[in-house]
Amino acid sequence: MSMYYAGILSDIGILLLGALSVYIILATGQLSLGNAGFMGIGAYITSWLTVEAGLPITVALVIAALVSGAIGVAVGFPALRLKGIYLAMATLGFGEVVRSFLLNFAAMGGPEGFHGMHHISTGYIWTWAVSVLVLVMLIEASPIWLEIRAVRDDETAAGLVGLNATEIKVGAFGCGAAVAAIAGGLFAHHHVYIEPGNFSFERSVDLVLAVILGGSTVASGALAGAVMLVILPEYLRFLAEWRFAAFGALLIAMLLVRRQGLLDRALLRFAWRGSRA
Amino acid sequence: MTSSLTKVLGAAGLAAALSGIIASGPVHAASAEIVLGAIVPSSGPFAEWGRTNTATLQMLEKQVNDAGGVNGAKLRIVILDDATKPAQATNDLRKLAGDDHVLAVAGPLTSSAAEVTFPVANEMKVVATSQASSKPGVAKNNRPWAFRNTIDESVLGRATVPYYKKAFNIKSVAIIFDAKDATAATVGSKIMPGLMKENGIEVLNANDPLSFNTGDLDVSAQVTKIKALNPDGVVVSADYSQAVTVIREMKRQGVIKPVVGSTQLISSAILKAAPEIPIVAPATFYASMPGDKPQTFVKELTPLLHKISGLPAEIEPSMYDANIYEIGSIYIDAIKKAGVTGKPEDLEADRTKIRDYMTKLSGFPGLGGPIAFNQDGDAIKAFYIVQGQNGAWESKVRGCSAPDGKHGC
Repeated sequence: MSMYYAGILSDIGILLLGALSVYIILATGQLSLGNAGFMGIGAYITSWLTVEAGLPITVALVIAALVSGAIGVAVGFPALRLKGIYLAMATLGFGEVVRSFLLNFAAMGGPEGFHGMHHISTGYIWTWAVSVLVLVMLIEASPIWLEIRAVRDDETAAGLVGLNATEIKVGAFGCGAAVAAIAGGLFAHHHVYIEPGNFSFERSVDLVLAVILGGSTVASGALAGAVMLVILPEYLRFLAEWRFAAFGALLIAMLLVRRQGLLDRALLRFAWRGSRA
Repeated sequence: MTSSLTKVLGAAGLAAALSGIIASGPVHAASAEIVLGAIVPSSGPFAEWGRTNTATLQMLEKQVNDAGGVNGAKLRIVILDDATKPAQATNDLRKLAGDDHVLAVAGPLTSSAAEVTFPVANEMKVVATSQASSKPGVAKNNRPWAFRNTIDESVLGRATVPYYKKAFNIKSVAIIFDAKDATAATVGSKIMPGLMKENGIEVLNANDPLSFNTGDLDVSAQVTKIKALNPDGVVVSADYSQAVTVIREMKRQGVIKPVVGSTQLISSAILKAAPEIPIVAPATFYASMPGDKPQTFVKELTPLLHKISGLPAEIEPSMYDANIYEIGSIYIDAIKKAGVTGKPEDLEADRTKIRDYMTKLSGFPGLGGPIAFNQDGDAIKAFYIVQGQNGAWESKVRGCSAPDGKHGC
């Protein structure tokens, strides 16, 4: 495989993890526009641990995921009081707070960014991406997911049947933040340089877009969305400076045709039956 | 008539200069095609620069091929858009070096893209030379394959600030910068405060940095604060398209104070935003630069830029167009003089020859004077402290980026 395709595959793997971080939170009916902030936290913690503390990357990623997860839980509590667009705005604010903090955090380079990480292979990125995707798909097939869906569909009704909506929603924020941190850590070690601008609002939008395009009701939708978001601009290069306009038009057309995203449960069920027939 | 004559003479001059490059040195290339690569932001926030860069490289390609090619081989420049996204720039470099088998790459444009692309250039062992990155240390961290045909902003600032202080009797300044742009943030939060202190200029908002984000359209609150501080001058650290927003707001609020900044301010558009506000910035090239070479370049390129749809009617060749033109010309010179064959089986050796040629380069005839590269991979070339006046840049001080400030320029 050429290095070009290896680079694209790495980008897809990292975006898949970022999209899954949004999907986990979205599954409970909460829209987070601040996951780039969690990615930034993960990227900087992982990089510091590997470069300054000399830890192996896998250990550093796990620590970063735990720290980011704890921050996610802390963010999840006040987020319980907000819904819909207000929650989206609050999480957007969180992402900007993280970016501004990193910008002024001189110990990690501030605006000059941070160097010194070792490059990781595409295989390593995909080991993490596939592991997390399979884990989320296993949870989707378990009774826990029914509880998550119940909270998403009607929080009050879920509470009336004895489900702890607070635990589920805050837990989802924590898990989503942890997965975003892994994506950030891998991003930092793929590009071997990070700066606060890498974790801005636009990245949060990319993560949400991957879920919406791929399908926001199944975990595999994140994979389909990540592939589309990375591959399409590459294949539209022949359009030169019009490629992003064409990309935008394709996205609009796609959402007009399939509002629920490329993949949904009905389509997957149909494909599964077709493969068995 | 005079204009036509000037054009003909200009074209002849440029052709002569190019044929000098093309005809000199031993003939080695045996390939039917010489392929170079370029990474430019044809879309995204810096699309204007990317699109003019594209026209510049296409002009160079045509000039070289019309003059007989490179050692008889046709020149082809593969130009890829990075949309001002660093991750796209790395994919571009991988594609150019791995799939298109280019001999060397011009670009990427921004420091953020260069930061992530230069390590890939080292990994793939292909020369990459940025046409605009000027954030301190970007090439230095990625030796030996990374180069920049630019000068470190801290080097330029050391000449800019003393001139600014003397010309406008500056005793105090307020600093405002684009926090989202790595170069602008570094210049605004680190380089400029240090240089002001060195030159005995008080930074009135030293403990209260004023910033905005790329794309912000309303900076009225920040400018109101600057107005309240009443400084003698204002440091605006942002690329020109963002700086225009600040300068327009300064004009609207009546803050008519001299502005100083980095190379990012150099553009014809910024002078039209508020002609009454003097702007001081360093540049290695500006469209009204005197001299046969730069004026021929401007006369050849300007009509081509006017043909590009969507660009301002008054567009002129920028410093980054000059830089990328020089980068392409240096590569062509390297191919001629370093014995590059352009054959697929010699690709690795050819790339090494170009790198070694760049490392040892001395006195290459650039548009603004001789060019060499220092051990950090940054250009040793002449620079000019220019002042925006009456809609045009006027050179006030000539400097040299060599360590001793003299040799090599």
